[in-house]
Amino acid sequence: MGLSFDLLINALIAGILLGGFYAAVTLGVSISFGILDIVNIAHPAFIILGSYIAYIVNTRLGIDPIVISIVMLPVFYLLGAGVYQVYYESFERRGQESLRGLSFFFGLLFVTEVMLILVFGVDYRYVEAWYIGPSWRLGVMDFPLRMLVPCLAALAMFAALQLYLSYTFIGRAISAVAQDQLALRLMGASPTRIKRIAFGISIATTAVAGALLIIIQPVEPSVGREYIGRVFAICVLGGLGSLPGTVIGAMLLGILESFTATFYGPSWAPAVAFGVLLLTLAFRPAGLLGR
Amino acid sequence: MRTRVFLLISIAVAAAVFFAARLVNNDYVFFAGYTVLQFIVLATAWNILGGYTGYVNFGSAAFFALGAYSTVFLHKFYPMPIPMLIAIGGIVSGIVGLGTGYLTLRLRGAFFAIATLALAVVLQTLVVNWDYVGGSRGAYIIRPNEIALIGPYVQYLFLLMLALAVIALAIARGIERSQLGYGFATIRDDELAAEASGVPTLRLKLIATTISGALMGMAGAPFPYYIGYLQPSSAFGLEYAVNSIAMPMIGGTTSWVGPLIGAILLGLLQQLATVTISSAVNLLIVGLMLVAFVIVAPNGIVGLVQEFLRRAGVHTRSIAIIVIAAYLFLGGIGGIIWSLKLTLGSGLVVFILAALCIAAAYGLLVLETWGLWLGIFLFAISIPIALAELLMGGVSTMVMLQIAIGIVVAWFLLRADVKLLYRQQKVAAS
Repeated sequence: MGLSFDLLINALIAGILLGGFYAAVTLGVSISFGILDIVNIAHPAFIILGSYIAYIVNTRLGIDPIVISIVMLPVFYLLGAGVYQVYYESFERRGQESLRGLSFFFGLLFVTEVMLILVFGVDYRYVEAWYIGPSWRLGVMDFPLRMLVPCLAALAMFAALQLYLSYTFIGRAISAVAQDQLALRLMGASPTRIKRIAFGISIATTAVAGALLIIIQPVEPSVGREYIGRVFAICVLGGLGSLPGTVIGAMLLGILESFTATFYGPSWAPAVAFGVLLLTLAFRPAGLLGR
Repeated sequence: MRTRVFLLISIAVAAAVFFAARLVNNDYVFFAGYTVLQFIVLATAWNILGGYTGYVNFGSAAFFALGAYSTVFLHKFYPMPIPMLIAIGGIVSGIVGLGTGYLTLRLRGAFFAIATLALAVVLQTLVVNWDYVGGSRGAYIIRPNEIALIGPYVQYLFLLMLALAVIALAIARGIERSQLGYGFATIRDDELAAEASGVPTLRLKLIATTISGALMGMAGAPFPYYIGYLQPSSAFGLEYAVNSIAMPMIGGTTSWVGPLIGAILLGLLQQLATVTISSAVNLLIVGLMLVAFVIVAPNGIVGLVQEFLRRAGVHTRSIAIIVIAAYLFLGGIGGIIWSLKLTLGSGLVVFILAALCIAAAYGLLVLETWGLWLGIFLFAISIPIALAELLMGGVSTMVMLQIAIGIVVAWFLLRADVKLLYRQQKVAAS
């Protein structure tokens, strides 16, 4: 009994830490899909790109992956702004985002993955950092630093984004763009510019998420596909457009997956996200903290 | 064209394709052809939902693999002939399509797309964990070498896929011209307005999802027999999901012709690229083409052609006619020179045909009605002549080119606006 209690506690801790990381992965989608209504299914591809950049700089120069990702933020922001510009000119302005816009992002996802395969092959890549390996023990509780550091970094990112969205002018304008574009235009702000900034931020988060991913597990180009289901399941579960909801949804999914992996075997874990997604859509499409 | 006539014509074309492939008598043609036909079915199936109603399905690989794995399951459980397996695979995938659609289609369109994307991951997880169908190790299906009446088993599979392609195209074309198709189009153009005008949108979307899913499952059902050793990673391969979206998008999504053109073009291109470069590069080409086409040519190749013909005034059409006339004229000169080398009997036939070509070129250029009809006649008979050449062992690529040119030019000359050009000339003269 004592042993299974240990197992339970540690599965719970692992789930919460994993959930924190999932929050980092999903925050960007929560902005693009939840607030801007852009179904960016290429989001995981940008995350993998972030992982590979962290991998290259880390192996060449030995810099900490999280530091690298913070340096890369502006680059990813510009990348995101560029992608949004193409998306806006080609699809949103013509009102074709539902079919062709989705296919566009699907193509991006696919092209990025194949390019990474062509350049790096399908070998697993990993990074070196002092916190990969050791773990803190607190009684029976086990906190692997490899999971704890990404979780804390994710929570820090969430706090920064939440503050930005609630207290700055542009942050509030981003929330406004989802609610009433006409009113925003009357206030003298350009919805397109605001959306470009927001999408840039959304892609910028993938630089961090990518670095966190490669800290948690070795990465190869097709790992991103596993995250598509997860990311959108969390986004829907938490309620579209709500960042606190996203974090809660991510924690819930993390715990569920951790329990599934502990009690049924890790090969079943990818199915959990889909089950959660379907159940949420069927019973509470607005999500936990939905508008 | 009535549906029955269309069906007869497509069966005739399919039969011609099959016998042409047999004449080449090389197993590779059947292996490659099977893949292209499979893509025709997948692209057409995707387009019934994606192109007609505007709902994107990213899980083609999942539906395809469902068909393939139901075959593996039944193969172990109770052996059956493949047509039965195809029907069962279709039913299984259709039901899964209906279920996914029922849970997600009541909400915004994006949810359906995301759910189908996740569906592939989940089904793959299920299959990997299910030892009865081979689990992650995969399953062997030993196919017989020969089959009665047809001969080699590959040819049998090829024939089945050919039949499926004809069925899929006939269904797509039938839907397009029926009340169902108009219902689908209203959903694509403005779902809210359709709902408000009393179109039962949810029911129509579910019908589209079921038909589309069932056809994908049918395409997947013979796959284990084709490949012999089925692994989850090959059945759920991303190339199925990508190709079944890219092919209609590149060909054009609004009619049944688009997926057909896209599938033949991309399918052949990939066969060539896989042989000559590498399979990763050919997937990259498909991905880049998809991105380029959705940005630059939203309505695909069919859209580009329609746009060209709409914009093309008398001027462009005249240029096209001059090109055709030049082609006929050069062909005529070449024919006359060639006829000199032949024996008297066959040389005479070639000489007469060549002279007719030169006459038709002249008639077309001076806008005489007889020139138009002579041109149409010559290009129409060039098709059976090319087939006869094939029978006598001609070079197959050249013959195919000749047939393609024959069909395109005959179609162009038969167009109403081209005929108008000649009629106007006559009216102006009189």
